[in-house]
Amino acid sequence: MSKLYVHAAPPTDLNKNTEWFMYPGVWTTYILILFFSWLLVLSLFGCTPGMAWTIVNLCHFAVTYHFFHWKKGTPFAEDQGIYNRLTWWEQIDNGKQLTRNRKFLTVVPVVLYLIASHTTDYQHPMLALNTLAVFILVVAKFPNMHKVRIFGINADH
Amino acid sequence: MITIPYLTALTTYFSYGLLFAFGQIRDLFRKILDWWSADNLQGYAPICLGLEDFYIRRLYLRIQDCFGRPIASAPDAWIDVVERYSNDNNKTLKRTTNINRCLNLGSYNYLGFAASDEYCTPRVFRSLETFSASTCSTCVDGGTTVLHNELEECVAKFVGKPAAVVFGMGYVTNSAILPVLIGKGGLIISDSLNHNSIVNGARGSGATIRVFLHNTPSHLEEVLREQIAEGQPRTHRPWKKIIVVVEGIYSMEGELCKLPEIIAVCKKYKAYTYLDEAHSIGAVGKTGRGVCELLGVDTADVDIMMGTFTKSFGSCGGYIAGSKELIQYLKYTCPAHLYATSISPPAAQQIISAIKVILGEDGSSRGAQKLARIRENSNFFRSELQKMGFEVLGDNDSPIMPIMLYNPAKIPAFSRECLKQNVAIVTVAFPATPLLLARARICISAAHTKEDLIKALEVISQVGDLVGIKYFPAEPKKQQEEDGRLKLD
Repeated sequence: MSKLYVHAAPPTDLNKNTEWFMYPGVWTTYILILFFSWLLVLSLFGCTPGMAWTIVNLCHFAVTYHFFHWKKGTPFAEDQGIYNRLTWWEQIDNGKQLTRNRKFLTVVPVVLYLIASHTTDYQHPMLALNTLAVFILVVAKFPNMHKVRIFGINADH
Repeated sequence: MITIPYLTALTTYFSYGLLFAFGQIRDLFRKILDWWSADNLQGYAPICLGLEDFYIRRLYLRIQDCFGRPIASAPDAWIDVVERYSNDNNKTLKRTTNINRCLNLGSYNYLGFAASDEYCTPRVFRSLETFSASTCSTCVDGGTTVLHNELEECVAKFVGKPAAVVFGMGYVTNSAILPVLIGKGGLIISDSLNHNSIVNGARGSGATIRVFLHNTPSHLEEVLREQIAEGQPRTHRPWKKIIVVVEGIYSMEGELCKLPEIIAVCKKYKAYTYLDEAHSIGAVGKTGRGVCELLGVDTADVDIMMGTFTKSFGSCGGYIAGSKELIQYLKYTCPAHLYATSISPPAAQQIISAIKVILGEDGSSRGAQKLARIRENSNFFRSELQKMGFEVLGDNDSPIMPIMLYNPAKIPAFSRECLKQNVAIVTVAFPATPLLLARARICISAAHTKEDLIKALEVISQVGDLVGIKYFPAEPKKQQEEDGRLKLD
């Protein structure tokens, strides 16, 4: 087992909720989790590979929408609630838009969509659901949507 | 710069992801079950939002027995740890009356003043009889005794500044001084790994805060240039004051600050420097005067020097040392001086006696012996740990050595296994350290003997093999091979 080492310098992010995303290895872990969950779905349900990718895509949509764009604030109280109005997506990189991390996270749903629709041969019910998922996720990540709450959904009282 | 094995980084992310997922599922079920049962809020709003204490409820409480262990003796080289047990999977812990005598590798007892000392303790008892345990008053009203004045002169002379002011609590020294020194329209540039007290004080001051990469003077220069060129946010007027805050030894890394380069950068751009010597005063330097002495920096170049008495002097409280005008100003404005009770007289006497011992003014050479012993102990321990293959942070001569653990499951494993073998170790996780970089932090003391350190090394090596934290290849034992060859001849 070759020992690969990576060097990490502590980043200058004061927000402990998003600082962990700036260390090496996060992108690889994300992709590996998606791949292994596809294998898990295949072995549990015994469906076609395309159906499995569709299920992974839709679960990925539900999970990332809930945790990146719906839940606000931080899971600990040390910062005294200064981020309570911001979702995780709005907090990362200190609010700076179009950084490398943000571009990577925008590309992942699109690639998942392409894989899912290709392996299901663009058939009818799966294609509509996959398209809806990628549309919502990518629009939520636009720079113009920073701190925007449509129709007041998820705004503070 | 921390070197992480790549596979360990991936598994650490995956473990935290799994812990997070399980925590969220349990919260979901708790919410569903609570929806069916009636709540006992009686119309009041809940105290905290459910998501704010998620980390405490679902991650910290699971390994709660590794933190906050009650002790039953003075924190000397050996310490009595009270045993606890839990019936509901660590949600609540109950104390027993059993006590374990453990080797103490967690207390900030750098010079061994934490337990009874032959010079300091009789004098402390005498001052307790004369002045009683508390002054029962603020410094301004009736709480400044002759001891307090003597202490302030003693500290100023020891640190090498014209004047000093002393407070009753170390954390408060930072968080109450920064708002007084700088306000709205000023700029605080602080190291990214500064202590929570500095972050709190900076946030309370109302000044703009910028962070520079840990211990990187070139990035500090970049940040200074950018900020001076831009000026205040929105109005772009020049900043009223710029203060750069660094620490002498960083408590979670054991690293020394690159003080000469940082002072040079600050002088070039006319920014004030604030040095927090909480862990380095009394512990490093030839005569124990801190990082300035160790790195050869003139104390007149640092504008404000702050320190605490909890680590090397075996007492409590903090001090600020600076020019006479600065200390005079602080005595008129700082709320910790005007409204908080002054430092307890026996604690003040302990500090004065400890400083006398360190400087050799008590007539013996115990101070110099202690300083030499802590240097030897730290260098020996660190080199042995590194030879065994552990990833140990920190510079030479620093008495703090964190051993990297990374995976969240190794934190309780290491802590509990060491406690079973009667070695008390402090493990630190999120949010005191970054999420990935959990560590076990060892503080070496001058009170540790060579036998103590060798026993500690054996236990840590054994537990390290069991838990799997020897991330670097161990150095081969060349000595034993040579002995074997000699015996054959």
